[in-house]
Amino acid sequence: MNLHKLAWRNIWRRKRRTLITAFSIGFGVMLSVTFTGSGDYTYTNMIDTGASMGMGHVTVEPIGYQLKPTLDKRLTAAGRLRARIAGIDGVSDATLRITGQAMFASARQSVGGGFIAVDPAFETPGNNLLLRSLVEGAMFNDGDGLGIVIGSKLAQRLQVTIGKKIVYTTTDVSGEIVSNIARVSGIFTTGIDMVDGIMVLLPIGSVQKTLNYARDEATVIAVIIRDQRHAEGMRDAIAALPEAAGVAVVTWKQSQPDLAGVIAFDKAGNYISQFLVGLLIAVGILNTMLMSVLERTREFGVMMAIGMAPGTLFRLIMVESFWLAVVGLLLGIIITAPWYYFLYHTGIDFSSAFGTDFSYGGVLVDPVFKARLFKESVMAILGGVFMLSLLAGLYPAWRAGRIPPVESLKTI
Amino acid sequence: MRILTLASRNVRRNWSRSLVTMLAMAFACCIMIFFSSLMEGMIQGSERSVVSMNMGDIQIHAYGYRDDPDLYTRIEHADALVDRLQQEGYHAASRIYAYGLLAANMASSGVHLRGVDLSHEMQVTELYKHVSNGRWLDDADPLGVVLGKKLAGTLGVKLGDELVFVGQSADGYMANELLRVRGILKSVSDGIDRMGVFMPMQTLRELMAMPDGAHEIVVMRADRRTDLVTETAQVARLAPDLEVKNWKQLMPVIARMIETADVQIMIMLVIFYIAVATVVLNAMLMNVFERIHEFGIMKALGVSPMQLVALVFAETFILTLLAAAVGLAGGWWISAYYQQHGIDMSALAGSISYGGIAFDPVWYGAITTSALVYPVLFLFVVAAIAVIYPAARAALLSPVKAIYYR
Amino acid sequence: MIFSLLAIVQLCLCLPAQAVAGQDRTSFILNKVDDLWRGESSFAVVSMRVKTEHYTRTMRLEGWSKGKEKTLFRVLEPLRERGTMTLKFGSHIYTYLPKTDRTIRLTSGMMMGSWMGSHLTNDDLVKEARLEDDYKAAITFEGARDGRNIIEFTLVPKPEAPVVWGKLLLTILADGYTPLVERYYDEDMHLARTFTFSDMKMLGGLMRPAALRVEPTDKPDEYTEFIYEQLELNIPVSDAMFSKSSLKRR
Repeated sequence: MNLHKLAWRNIWRRKRRTLITAFSIGFGVMLSVTFTGSGDYTYTNMIDTGASMGMGHVTVEPIGYQLKPTLDKRLTAAGRLRARIAGIDGVSDATLRITGQAMFASARQSVGGGFIAVDPAFETPGNNLLLRSLVEGAMFNDGDGLGIVIGSKLAQRLQVTIGKKIVYTTTDVSGEIVSNIARVSGIFTTGIDMVDGIMVLLPIGSVQKTLNYARDEATVIAVIIRDQRHAEGMRDAIAALPEAAGVAVVTWKQSQPDLAGVIAFDKAGNYISQFLVGLLIAVGILNTMLMSVLERTREFGVMMAIGMAPGTLFRLIMVESFWLAVVGLLLGIIITAPWYYFLYHTGIDFSSAFGTDFSYGGVLVDPVFKARLFKESVMAILGGVFMLSLLAGLYPAWRAGRIPPVESLKTI
Repeated sequence: MRILTLASRNVRRNWSRSLVTMLAMAFACCIMIFFSSLMEGMIQGSERSVVSMNMGDIQIHAYGYRDDPDLYTRIEHADALVDRLQQEGYHAASRIYAYGLLAANMASSGVHLRGVDLSHEMQVTELYKHVSNGRWLDDADPLGVVLGKKLAGTLGVKLGDELVFVGQSADGYMANELLRVRGILKSVSDGIDRMGVFMPMQTLRELMAMPDGAHEIVVMRADRRTDLVTETAQVARLAPDLEVKNWKQLMPVIARMIETADVQIMIMLVIFYIAVATVVLNAMLMNVFERIHEFGIMKALGVSPMQLVALVFAETFILTLLAAAVGLAGGWWISAYYQQHGIDMSALAGSISYGGIAFDPVWYGAITTSALVYPVLFLFVVAAIAVIYPAARAALLSPVKAIYYR
Repeated sequence: MIFSLLAIVQLCLCLPAQAVAGQDRTSFILNKVDDLWRGESSFAVVSMRVKTEHYTRTMRLEGWSKGKEKTLFRVLEPLRERGTMTLKFGSHIYTYLPKTDRTIRLTSGMMMGSWMGSHLTNDDLVKEARLEDDYKAAITFEGARDGRNIIEFTLVPKPEAPVVWGKLLLTILADGYTPLVERYYDEDMHLARTFTFSDMKMLGGLMRPAALRVEPTDKPDEYTEFIYEQLELNIPVSDAMFSKSSLKRR
């Protein structure tokens, strides 16, 4: 007997009921897509921004640096390692950076802050948030020069403008106090007071000289990879390199634990909510299937009387659930597709509510609500909905098979 | 015709059908309540992390202090003001601050000293509960200090270690003192974690040669549900010539974030409720449409359309009532459990920070009236709306058509 | 941390011995000025008076120096700070605090902090030994001004020098090369602070200005004044005095 054909016809006997149930499944799909998709987009964004601004998706750093980030800890022969890493498949770039604390002084004031010494050839507004937020001037070109890019609040406190000089003082590799001069080439405003008041970009060559580092030494190698989900795998690949002996290789989850925390928390919240919704939908499906079984008691009785095995009946209901799920999914795809398209390309602009200067886990967040699903997520959602529907059908299917024919013929 | 009696009999007659419908609705109601309580809990938790930990509802400073925190920019007669505020029903505590250098073993760091009035502070903030190692301050141990989490790490100190502080006192001399690590805090906010050193107020007064005045007064409302803006204005009247601001004005980014979280939660609730609506709709529609045959017979026997509609509504009402009762009980129970224990997210993340403030990684639910009432109300409303169409259909159909309805 | 008048003056007068060609006279004169203060070693007793908006205080210090790199100071008065010592050793600065009986090393974060509540910074102490490397000098005026014959030097920082100033203007008496005034300008050429020398006295066998007054331009009511009570040059002083361990022993 062709169960599929029978099941298909059965569910369409009650068009309205099937459609409404299918609609609720479809709605569940839309919800899932919205939340997972926006999560995927936002998290990826945050991780990528955090990576490019700070320590990369994967960071190569001196052992013990996480606990006590002082300037005497540094990587030696970093250049060679960097070149090796850049050659690994999946790595989009790797760059040397020196990060530390310093005092910045002008003739009028002095302020404590932090610096990131970078190679200007590597930094672009695409991967560096501070450059993206430049409001005056430009990034310095010379990695060995005297340029410095500072935040607007810092510029205000020091009372300096483009072209004026700043003297920065810090402690070098052997603990000596050293200073150097720099001229402001650019000023940025990220909107985050902490960053604008404290952070600067310096040319790595000059900083290496000031700190008495060798040419090839740096605090970290920041590795940017194409797909942030492969961070762990990439870390293992890098740690396996022979040049990487004696250094620590960590992912962004360890170098930026606040960010990792926020994402994990948000994800968990998301999952809990989706789980609850899924549960709800399952109940709805259960309700429908059970109702349909209960009202066909007589019909089942007749079928069993003429020889249908309870097992077959069980399978029939399961198949009905299956087809219900299919219809639901199709409906889901139909209603979600345009919505997703909208979210993918345009998104909902929250910037009127947020303002543009919001930091979440220490990283700036794009105030536009967009969604971008990973293939895996799509599979997961479709699979999940399916599983749920089938599970919901179990009890009704079991009930259907249990009714003894005589009993069933008695009910109205 | 006694509609209610008939209605209840109908419900009992098709008990399996009724039960199935009811359980679906009860479950939906239960989940709605739980979900709402989680969302409320998130909002309350966020605010608590910001306000109760260190910020307080309202802060008072001398004008200009926030832009340029100078030792000399003080609130004169701070004690009198604190007493006034207490009289008016607020909780208030004053604080004094100073900057300097703290050295320990091999390392040293610029620090922000915070002199705390212990007895008052306990009524205003929950900082004293937030010690991860060691103990909170005690007036009997004037040189025992509590450090911010990251500061302790940078200096490489443990409990009991010695610290040397060097700074400049108000009378221009070099202030220096030997301090001991009495406690280390959990993560509170960026500033405190990296530079915060807490000590009894008297210790700091002596160290900095500052016998009077305070730099900051933190105020908490006794009743957290009153309007923040009105209270801020009220406090401002009590403290003329001083700058009075509430936490939303002092931390606009966080305030906005929490507001936006509010909006996001609303969106999620709406979507959630829509999902619930489909389930309830489905249940009720099935309940009515599949009995049109039955209604047709009743019409044939002379029941008027109005009576039919009334009957349907009565049945719906009974079902919904029962479902609501069960849903409420279940939802309340499960929410209460999570209000007590919370969902522990700390396995996922040791510390979570938004906008520079650390948040509690345990997610507590919060049972509020709105978390309980709205879902139940919603259930009734949706169920009622759901049956309008089918009831009307049934009532208007000619009996013959109804009997043969397909 | 204590600052010796000797060191301050050397701050003003440590000028490039290797002058640019054509400035032989400049360097000759400046070296002469230098010779007023430079000795292999020195011992001095100084009193310092600081007046700010919030306090006025006086302090008395004794100090030893050897060459330009080593200096040691000790507070004599007031009583509550007696025994506080500062050791400068190259670019390391250590402070001994008698109240807590601890020695701490100054970090980069403290460099711009005011020294002893005065209008000079810790950084001024470290930077003074480097003045030679950091500036180029030229005579910009010679002649009579206010009834006296003076020579005025303009010192411009070299492009790579880590100094915050735009230029320094030093005025000395043509006769005897006694320093009179030194002015510090920021990069926009606004006067930021002024050092004034006065009170010529016989010190250590030569006539020198015994008083130095530091005035910040933006706070005209405030000043810091150093007065020499005693000065001896080329005295025997051992290297061991300028070590960290000696701080505690005293």
